[in-house]
Amino acid sequence: MHRAHDLELFPEYTVTQLLFKDLKNAAELRKMAVNSEIKGALINPTMVVDAFQILVAANKAVHLHKNGKMKTRSMYSEIIFNLSPTNNISEAFKRFGISDSDNAVYIVLVHNKEETLNVDDIISKVDGQQIDVDQVSEFTDAAKVKKLYKVAPLEERCGSLLDAVVCRMATKDVA
Amino acid sequence: MAEADVLRKQVPSYLAEAHMIKQGAEARVYRGRFLGRSVIIKERFPKLYRHPSVDEKLTRRRTAQEVRSILRCRRAGINAPVVYFVDYNNHCIFLEDIVHSVSVRDYIVPVQATVQGTGHLQTLADKIGEILAQMHDEDVIHGDLTTSNMLLFTKAEHKNINLVLIDFGLSYISALTEDKGVDLYVLEKAFLSTHPNTETLFERLLKSYTASSKKASAVIKKLDEVRLRGRKRSMVG
Repeated sequence: MHRAHDLELFPEYTVTQLLFKDLKNAAELRKMAVNSEIKGALINPTMVVDAFQILVAANKAVHLHKNGKMKTRSMYSEIIFNLSPTNNISEAFKRFGISDSDNAVYIVLVHNKEETLNVDDIISKVDGQQIDVDQVSEFTDAAKVKKLYKVAPLEERCGSLLDAVVCRMATKDVA
Repeated sequence: MAEADVLRKQVPSYLAEAHMIKQGAEARVYRGRFLGRSVIIKERFPKLYRHPSVDEKLTRRRTAQEVRSILRCRRAGINAPVVYFVDYNNHCIFLEDIVHSVSVRDYIVPVQATVQGTGHLQTLADKIGEILAQMHDEDVIHGDLTTSNMLLFTKAEHKNINLVLIDFGLSYISALTEDKGVDLYVLEKAFLSTHPNTETLFERLLKSYTASSKKASAVIKKLDEVRLRGRKRSMVG
């Protein structure tokens, strides 16, 4: 149900993704993330187009972390920041992080091969139903995504919305 | 400082696992895996003949320009490979691998030999002219227009031919007609030398370019001027 992927560029790291619907304790979870009780990034699923988008953000976060070049304070905030098309950190949190009233959450965990990850521990903290990450498309608000990433219909001639989003995420630092 | 040097001198581990497909003077191109997908990795390796700080600045600038041009093209609806990740430490660009594609160069060579081929080539010339017009209207100068830098691929659902521009390594943004004219001149030289007896085909390409671009006539005029310069061209009179 949860998706684990070993980063090809950083084989010692694994990225695990989980998706929950019918969420009842968003506010509590958010507090736990802030306190570092949950060592993961809590993302608003309406802004997620595909699991690949999350992997791209996580990969960049790990790369910057390893090189000491992160713009934010933790790997998890860096993942959220990488999702955003702008360089404003608080805006990234507002748009991509979960808010107290959300009824679904996309959780991303990054861990070293050496640390054993207790996924069940995280799952137990969430008051909601876990579903497959591929089902995120049920939550995606394509119109909101297009507006935020400024994707024009013209660009959709060359590829999918996911392509447009990932390209912007990858080129944000210079474009 | 020493640590940074060590970081730089290490060849990235991911390149060791990837499969090199081309080596040029500026960069090496590999095929590899990234986040579960097949990707093309373009590595601008350090040039030892340059002063290190100059090399670093120049390489970073070229990497950034390439990536910027690709995004700019895509935003305008011009097909270019998606950028997945840029490693500014090792100056590597991770790009979408366009599978099941053939370069225009490799397409023209056999098709030209057949009699029925000429029809297909006309459509191709039209398409190229159109895409270049769109690119120049966006003020993107490719810088290295050759038939090897254009790929043809078919999307299963569509069955039309689709063109993708690749290798934006020498590209930059410019509104000058001179730059656009030179861009076309580079293509003309490359086209005619790689594919003999294609003068009429190239004419058709330019016609399509003129029909698709608002500023085309000025650019074609410049192209005529540029043709008069160069090697073995008399600038007298």
